[in-house]
Amino acid sequence: MIRNRPLLLVFRIVLGGLFIYAGVVKVVDPLGFAQDIRNYRLVGQSISFVAAVVLPWLEILAGAFLIAGVWRRGAALVITGLLVFFIVLTLITMARGLDVDCGCFGSLSRRSGWGVIVEDLGMLYLGLCALFSKQDAQR
Amino acid sequence: MTEARRTFQQALALAALSVLVAAAIHFPLIQRFARGEFRETFFVQADYPGVRLVTLAEAEDLWRGGETTFLDARAADLYEEGHVPRARSVPAAEIGTLTPVLVQRMAKEAALVVYCEGGDCQSSLILAKRLHDEGFKDIRVLSGGWEEWKRAGLPEETGDDQE
Repeated sequence: MIRNRPLLLVFRIVLGGLFIYAGVVKVVDPLGFAQDIRNYRLVGQSISFVAAVVLPWLEILAGAFLIAGVWRRGAALVITGLLVFFIVLTLITMARGLDVDCGCFGSLSRRSGWGVIVEDLGMLYLGLCALFSKQDAQR
Repeated sequence: MTEARRTFQQALALAALSVLVAAAIHFPLIQRFARGEFRETFFVQADYPGVRLVTLAEAEDLWRGGETTFLDARAADLYEEGHVPRARSVPAAEIGTLTPVLVQRMAKEAALVVYCEGGDCQSSLILAKRLHDEGFKDIRVLSGGWEEWKRAGLPEETGDDQE
């Protein structure tokens, strides 16, 4: 695991920034994101709506807390948990042969596929570094 | 308190905070949902004035009238197995490449009916929104989809899209 503090800070800023951005683009269009969730055809209308309202704020708050270094491990746990969920969701979607927008970054979203999984794995690595690093002082 | 336990508690607190912030910021939207809006679909009618959901009976009338173009948003192999007679195949995966062709060939005022599998399929709505954004003004979505059309014993056709 990486022990270089400046590098870990860069990881946190990059990952936190990506999550804040992903959350903000969804917050401005909650119904569009709800439709993206619905398109996966895994959950019904009500759960899609609740997830579309809450999930973007979870991304924004976890991203902001990760960058600020407040509740760092908790924020990193939320982010890595979300990433694992996104990866599993993408794999299930591919296995079912559905062709849907991933919904990851609002209008910049791409189709669910290997590209999305590679991106998520890259972010997951940064998240795991933030979650398990010992170098940062805990607050 | 162990490190792991504290981490879980922080994560739970973040989740709870997200729920509170979301409830506060989106309160008007949540009220609309509680009143029954968005129960069928998330698209806001006012944003897509040219798109309407229609019943099977309305779709059948339009088809018998012969002046409405039907668009099948299912995958090409499902289309080949059976589709509404005279319907064009516009699979969701090819919306990006086929939409410009439709734009070139059809007048923006043309009456269109789009459908997909039925049940909770979403591709007809995705196609409808896309066509609306391209300037088409009369797009109807058969919400019951192919499943409902077939179950009602209405005419069907097999084979690929010749055009």
